[in-house]
Amino acid sequence: MTNFKSCVVLLILFMCALHMTSQETFPRNDVLDDRVDAYAFTNATIVVDHNTTITDGILLIQKGMIVGAGNNIDIPSGYTRIDLAGKHIYSSMIDLHTNYGMPEAESRSRGGGFRGPEQIMSDTKGAYNANEAIKSHFNASDVFTIDKKSAGDWRKNGFGAVLTFRADGISRGSSSLVTLGESSDNKVVLNNKAAAHYSFNKGTSSQNYPGSMMGFISLLRQTYLDAAWYNNHKTKPFTDQTLEAWIDNQQIPQFFDAGNWMNVLRADKVGDEFDVNYIIKSGGDDYKRVAEIKRSGASLIVPVNFPDAYDVSDPLDAEKVSLSDMKHWELAPTNPSTLEKNNINFALTSSGVKKKADFMANIRKAIKHGLSESKALEALTTIPAAMLNMQDRIGKLNEGMVANFIITSGGLFDEKTEILENWVQGEAFRYKPLDKSDDSGVYTLSIGDQNYNLEVSGKPGAQKFKIIINDSTKVDVSSKIDKELVTLGVKDKKEDKEEIRLSGWKTSSGWKGSGQLVDGRWVSWDATRKSDLPSEETSKESDRGKKGKKSVESKDEEIGKVIYPFIAFGNEQLPSQEKILIKNTTVWTNESEGILAETDVLLSDGKISRIGQNLRERGAKVVDGTGKHLTSGIIDEHTHIGGGGNERATNSGMVRIGDQINPEQINIYRTLAGGVTAAQVLHGSANPIGGQSALIKLRWGESPENMKIAGADEFIKFALGENVKRSSNAASIRYPQSRMGVEQVYMDAFTNAVEYEKKWNTYNALSDTEKSNTDKPRKDLAHEAMLEIVNGERFITCHSYVQSEINMLMKVAEYFGFRVNTFTHILEGYKVADKMREHGVAASTFSDWWNYKWEVRYAIPYNAAIMHREGVLTAINSDDSNMGRRLNQEAAKTIKYGGISEEDAWKMVTLNPAKMLHLDDDMGSIKVGKDADVVLWTDHPLSSYARAEKTIIDGKIYFDLDKDEKARKDLRIERARLIQKMKGVKKKGGKTQRPNSRIQLEFHCDVEHYSHIINHD
Amino acid sequence: MNKIIYILVLLLSFSGLLNGQVPIPAKDQDKPIIVMNATAHLGNGSVIDNSAIAFENGKLTIVADASTISVDMSKYDVIDATGQHVYPGFILPNSQLGLVEVNAVRATNDQSEDGSINPNVRSIIAYNTDSENIPTMRFNGILLTETTPVGGTISGTSSVMELEGWNWEDAAHSTDIAMHLNWPGKTRRRFDFSTFTVSESPNQNYTKDVAALKKHFEDAKSYGQLTDRAANLKLEKMQGLFDGSITLMIHASGPKEIIEAVNLAKAQGVKKMAVVAGIPALYISAFLRDNNIGVIIPPVHSLPTRPDQDIDLPYRLPHLLTEEGVTVGLSHSGMLANARNLPFYAGTAVAYGMNKEDALKTITSNTAEILGISDRVGTLTVGKNATLFISEGDALDIRSSVLSDAFISGKRITLDNKQQALYKRYSDKYGH
Repeated sequence: MTNFKSCVVLLILFMCALHMTSQETFPRNDVLDDRVDAYAFTNATIVVDHNTTITDGILLIQKGMIVGAGNNIDIPSGYTRIDLAGKHIYSSMIDLHTNYGMPEAESRSRGGGFRGPEQIMSDTKGAYNANEAIKSHFNASDVFTIDKKSAGDWRKNGFGAVLTFRADGISRGSSSLVTLGESSDNKVVLNNKAAAHYSFNKGTSSQNYPGSMMGFISLLRQTYLDAAWYNNHKTKPFTDQTLEAWIDNQQIPQFFDAGNWMNVLRADKVGDEFDVNYIIKSGGDDYKRVAEIKRSGASLIVPVNFPDAYDVSDPLDAEKVSLSDMKHWELAPTNPSTLEKNNINFALTSSGVKKKADFMANIRKAIKHGLSESKALEALTTIPAAMLNMQDRIGKLNEGMVANFIITSGGLFDEKTEILENWVQGEAFRYKPLDKSDDSGVYTLSIGDQNYNLEVSGKPGAQKFKIIINDSTKVDVSSKIDKELVTLGVKDKKEDKEEIRLSGWKTSSGWKGSGQLVDGRWVSWDATRKSDLPSEETSKESDRGKKGKKSVESKDEEIGKVIYPFIAFGNEQLPSQEKILIKNTTVWTNESEGILAETDVLLSDGKISRIGQNLRERGAKVVDGTGKHLTSGIIDEHTHIGGGGNERATNSGMVRIGDQINPEQINIYRTLAGGVTAAQVLHGSANPIGGQSALIKLRWGESPENMKIAGADEFIKFALGENVKRSSNAASIRYPQSRMGVEQVYMDAFTNAVEYEKKWNTYNALSDTEKSNTDKPRKDLAHEAMLEIVNGERFITCHSYVQSEINMLMKVAEYFGFRVNTFTHILEGYKVADKMREHGVAASTFSDWWNYKWEVRYAIPYNAAIMHREGVLTAINSDDSNMGRRLNQEAAKTIKYGGISEEDAWKMVTLNPAKMLHLDDDMGSIKVGKDADVVLWTDHPLSSYARAEKTIIDGKIYFDLDKDEKARKDLRIERARLIQKMKGVKKKGGKTQRPNSRIQLEFHCDVEHYSHIINHD
Repeated sequence: MNKIIYILVLLLSFSGLLNGQVPIPAKDQDKPIIVMNATAHLGNGSVIDNSAIAFENGKLTIVADASTISVDMSKYDVIDATGQHVYPGFILPNSQLGLVEVNAVRATNDQSEDGSINPNVRSIIAYNTDSENIPTMRFNGILLTETTPVGGTISGTSSVMELEGWNWEDAAHSTDIAMHLNWPGKTRRRFDFSTFTVSESPNQNYTKDVAALKKHFEDAKSYGQLTDRAANLKLEKMQGLFDGSITLMIHASGPKEIIEAVNLAKAQGVKKMAVVAGIPALYISAFLRDNNIGVIIPPVHSLPTRPDQDIDLPYRLPHLLTEEGVTVGLSHSGMLANARNLPFYAGTAVAYGMNKEDALKTITSNTAEILGISDRVGTLTVGKNATLFISEGDALDIRSSVLSDAFISGKRITLDNKQQALYKRYSDKYGH
């Protein structure tokens, strides 16, 4: 049996030897000099993996490979034995998110602003992709080389292998799995194409498109489609080396650098569309929406870059720190444990931790916050290995695997544990001696003819030397021990300045050597051990140690709760649907009944269920509406809250605002408080053809997907005039530069779309055999959107100002046989109101904006009144979240300017926008069966003195003045708690950072007047 | 008779409008006028329900309860304003009205001069009485403005203008009344396009910038003490700060900055000062009150500046500062055309806790006080300028603000402008 075992070992040895001398092809400048490189580590606690630990075990390695681990292994001859009694061996850690050994990142001013000449085409030279941000042709292994300095830092902190890639581009090409050894580039590269990488960051690309989250997503989607199309060709239509690499790379694991929980969900959704399971690098904030993350099913790479506490000593400065930043400081360390509790597969990465040395401290912090040690180990070893399909080569201490391991003084996650050695592919890197001798005891120190009592105490490696004068007096001896050698400085009395300087070596009973007295005479000296330290001393010493330890470990600390959304005024619990009976109020029905006095309205199951007098309903929450007004919720036809943005391409019809809905914006709550229940989130206005809109309800606290109105019609933003011809940018070179060109952009886009449809129709009509002999047409996301418009499946909301262009777009639409749905802003609509009525287009306008740019010199606040009287369906919109929370006042301006009736004025912010957005079956009036989206106002809703008291959506109270009052108080208390906790950190000497604020700005499509602050349109 | 005159004036103004001009400036008051039976909001906190307001030669002669006076009505043009409201003309401070026409068109902008220290720069001479923005302000009751330069560290001096007149000399109400200082911020804001967020970092130049400002004030002081001095336009203009003829208007971004700015100015012997600041002023209201510093606040219709702030904080700011004993004036910034909504900012302040008459003060008497012009305007007080208007309803509430008549220093002004002309033109076209 034993014989058989050794045979196996030998066989493996032989194979390894063959394997590891793989650099045979290289020239030699010496005689052959192969070494045995065989080691046996004995008496060790061997943690084979997170599930398996061998105590008092033996680990055998040879030529950089593990050849055995266990208790009863024979150690073949030729093995150097290393005694690791009391020590632990772990597989070294693996990091999947690094740029180790990559050249310094190229720094290039990134494109994407709205100043300077646009860059429409890719700058990359050669037969590569049309978009500079798609860099699939890049392979990390092409440029990888060992970086000894950096490798040393990684190893010192327990890492053995890393996945390295170049963080540049939306598609970043492939990465390499490399060990942190220093032998040779050829040896350390374990897998030269380990994974393919993607991100939502265009990196060094200076090409204009894409410049927004929705653009990044649409570029990715189009590239998947293009790759499939390209691959499908028997003869390639042209050569695109990037697409070819993209296609090849689909065979290896796909990694996505997302960066925060919202992006994790976005990346996963892109993956779902193309049957790709991305392994996603998160932002460490997954706890904020763990249910959605869990549902995505994605595996994650999770950073532990927990933020430092803020220095909140000065209350005025502390105001800059938002609740969400404070809460993230507190909750970030709970992220790994939250993922573990939810059974989400994740690996840990040191990415984002400023100093590698802090990494293990942060892992310990995560463990203190509930992460199990076993999961921590798994997430640092076997899981990352498995993510790369390399679980049979790295991550464990099993036979046949790469000899990548660390030797530690104790349990890996124990605070006192030190990494003593790190072995990479069998190559040893040593940090601390495996053995530190314990010299404690009492010695007789003889210097010349003078004798002293010398006491050596303390832990091995940090022992203190003292001369004992009497029981109460001891004089410190300066000491330095370097393995076998010792240097001492001895004084007779504490006050003495001069020292006797001694140098010596270790003997079996102590030390011996020579030295120089204070007057310069040379003497011999020795120290002979005579007894152990008095036991009293030792116990005292250890007592002190225990006490110290206690004070370090704090009690179970209080941790705040996650709130939805994760910003101020977020809720621990989302509001629930209630049966609500609003009694005795003035009801603005927006129906033929008009305004009803002293009326009751019952909301149930998220719908308006009854309207009448003296209604009763068991179990309903009764709200007294006496003296108040109940209206249907305000609908903003034109907003950018919750996800607005602007892509760069002249035809950006392929991008979708719905891809970048961000529910964590405070302005959603503020707008809700203004009585708004639903809105169209629009793309910006820098392009004749903008992106696809998202219709949302302001369901505060819900996930991005739950904000959207299910089943709503599809809309798209168009724009005309100064913005699209880039008037604010004198350096612009982008087509179109005039209103003439704008028309041609539309003619071109729709003509192409019609041709596109023909091409597909022809192809689809082919028989299966014919199809197999024909190249499939390319699927183009922009053409698809244009075609949907022509076919009446997508509806245009067009930013517009002057009469000529308004007229033009209507004529273009009529030529292609469809109708423009809505002109938005439409400040000169009053000049062509009759033509608009004939065309059947609706108008959504500003109440009183004018003269902020050249094309609005003739804007008048009577615009809405004239269009309304001319029979155009007219609404008042906001465009920005400041005005968006006062749309009731904006509607009142149509009374002041133009004398519109109060009922009609009110419809301009409720029923009329509902009609424009094709939502009026469910919204826009108080009618039985419609959605329970209503607002209770404290006063006449068109009065400047009115406030929204309750904003109800789907029968859920999302805003309530009383609840808001309580939320303010809770917010103050929660901030105070966190501030005190952070002050505690500072007091204890913990690291803090300067108070800082990050303020989310609102996108806005007509803010030339803000352009000094923000460079956008 | 009055009505006929009114219609004639209207017709005249429309004929002017047809030529694309702003309304023709009114003639000086040639006959005493008395406004009878209106609810008069005096601008000092009081209301006279059934009032008699008379003015002659541009000055108010009677402000009283109609039932308590006996006058010879034949001497007056009588305006029966029963059921209507009378207000002192609203004052729009810290505005680029008259300096900026169309913000996006550079050629039409005259609000900012090159360089950083421009005490000698005077906005008044660029004030364009023919600006099309001006009549739209008057339409809502704004009859006075502080036309204010911007940019640099010291932007120059502002002047108070009446929104009426053939040229800037005509329109001048008080010349070079305030010098605008943009105090450096302790933090700098950086915009990150990729996340669309603004982050703050310490302004490394703060100490240096403050030291430079201090030196500028010291230089101005020593210059003033010289008997034989070579003229220096910048330092010469600074003397007004030391003799109290010019108010130092401090624009500061944070509470600590306000304190440091005020203390520096005080130490340098600046006699009169006020602050232009928003929510930060609330944190140091005691300092402002104790130093008797008035505050011009940014638009009430603004968003809170930080996510954790009460969502209605900008709406409540006038009320909160007033309660703390600080004198508050409302202003507008951002799109110039929207300055015409100043009255409704006061209306919103009412919705958020303020008493209506107190809210009115924030656009009349308080502003006049802060600008140092309260001896002539800001309230309906006998002896002050007859700068006032009549509204059919509550002028602070959008839905009821309909002006029927307005006077600037007794001159009966035309309220309609290009916008009403276009309204009429197209209503006629469609036969509405």
